Amino acid sequence: MKFIDRLTKIDRRIIYAILALVVILPLVFPSALKVKPMKPVEKLYEAVDNIPEDKALLLDCSYAPQIKAEVEPMAIAVLRHAFGKRKKVLVLALYVQMLGLAQKALTQVTEEFNSKAQTNIDSIIYGRDYVFLGWTPPPLIPMLGMGESITDVYPADYYGNQTDTLELMQYIKNYNNIGILVCLSGSAIPKAWVMYAQNRFGLAVGVGCTAVSGADFYAYYQTGQFSGLMVGMKGAAEYEELVEENLEIKEKRMASEAMLPMTYAHFIIIFFIVIGNIGYFIQRRRK
Amino acid sequence: MKKKFPLLLVFVFGILGIIPFLIPHPIVQHSDEYIRNDILRILAAFALVLALGSLLKVHADKIKRKKVNWQYSWVLILAFIVSSIIGLFGGVAGTGLLPTSFGSFNFNIQTLYENIIIPLASSMFALLAFYMASASYRAFRARSSEATLLLVAAFVVMIGFLPVASSISSKLPAFAQWVLNVPNVAGQRGVLFGIALGAVATSLKIILGIERAWLGGGD
Repeated sequence: MKFIDRLTKIDRRIIYAILALVVILPLVFPSALKVKPMKPVEKLYEAVDNIPEDKALLLDCSYAPQIKAEVEPMAIAVLRHAFGKRKKVLVLALYVQMLGLAQKALTQVTEEFNSKAQTNIDSIIYGRDYVFLGWTPPPLIPMLGMGESITDVYPADYYGNQTDTLELMQYIKNYNNIGILVCLSGSAIPKAWVMYAQNRFGLAVGVGCTAVSGADFYAYYQTGQFSGLMVGMKGAAEYEELVEENLEIKEKRMASEAMLPMTYAHFIIIFFIVIGNIGYFIQRRRK
Repeated sequence: MKKKFPLLLVFVFGILGIIPFLIPHPIVQHSDEYIRNDILRILAAFALVLALGSLLKVHADKIKRKKVNWQYSWVLILAFIVSSIIGLFGGVAGTGLLPTSFGSFNFNIQTLYENIIIPLASSMFALLAFYMASASYRAFRARSSEATLLLVAAFVVMIGFLPVASSISSKLPAFAQWVLNVPNVAGQRGVLFGIALGAVATSLKIILGIERAWLGGGD
């Protein structure tokens, strides 16, 4: 077989092996790659940063385990930002399979803060600083219902506590007390938040989504329906950069560490596409 | 009656779903709140029980009739029973009636989720990267001018959004952003308008009983 023919017929196992190598090696020897935050991410950061003291951040962790690698770093970065700036946080998930991931992110970030806390005021305390509302089906109920009363939609939180007995819920009643909703999802859920909660109650919506669904959301970002947009692992890394730069929170940056393997993987894919096309053009010219 | 009653229900509740967006009067808003917070929630609970019952019935039937891959149905039923018992009686963080730890070994629902569901689902999805690399190498060819344009746009966006893009060219990230902000949004908006108008038309057809395929029966 000629060299040119080989270019168009590389065994898929070779492609898999090379891709695995360029992804695994930088993960085994991690190093965070510096990223420059882009405008959509900066706007989301500013929107969370500017939440007034008497309002809370509503975090919708509607991401499934399949997209955990991309979206979980966003949840962690947003929670670090909110807790670092002493913002009040309400967390929920619109589907049951996502609750465990929301719980995981909350546990990680609260433990990070509480391990360094010196006093009760420094600590992140459940019921005072944050509440995990959990899940109630179908998604339309919380989206519309929280505009009237959050405790009516979620009479009990994820752990079974009566929400109206929690300190934070004494003054966070409905969307009037929410500074911004940040929806982390890989599906069309952010659009539903705009359709129901924003159109009817004027709720500000920020979004963190997978790279593949990012293109769908730019139209909403341009119109101002999304206050900010964080797309894919790169978006998460940019948010991590902003959190570390502005708040000096030095913790493990999952997305930033994944930038190097992601960069190599992209170059490998581009390389294979290019050599595939070179082989294709030479073969076509011969014919 | 079998057809007229569901049609009447869809008509009444379809209209009731639209009205609160148009009339802000408290009576309308309160009745809408009641429908959503009470009636819809009860319906959702029934749907959930029905779905779980149906799932078990399908798999029990598969085992009974020894259909293709019936053995996997046992895995589903056993996993369903075990996780239901642990979830219902063990509490969300192992604080329920059922003890969910032996010494340092925990098997509460969160531990099971983090150590079984997350790795399995993440691994399945991670395989996509390998298939994508192989498929794009085999299929992504500049066969026509449209395909070449697609290829160039893909390269610009892929490289433009990498952290090293500004090292390649200072204008590349901005250009990649422009591709997403202008040509992409222009196309997306057209699609969105089409979808929105189609959704309105289809909804009206269903509410008014013109479109009846959802009733089943084939006529």
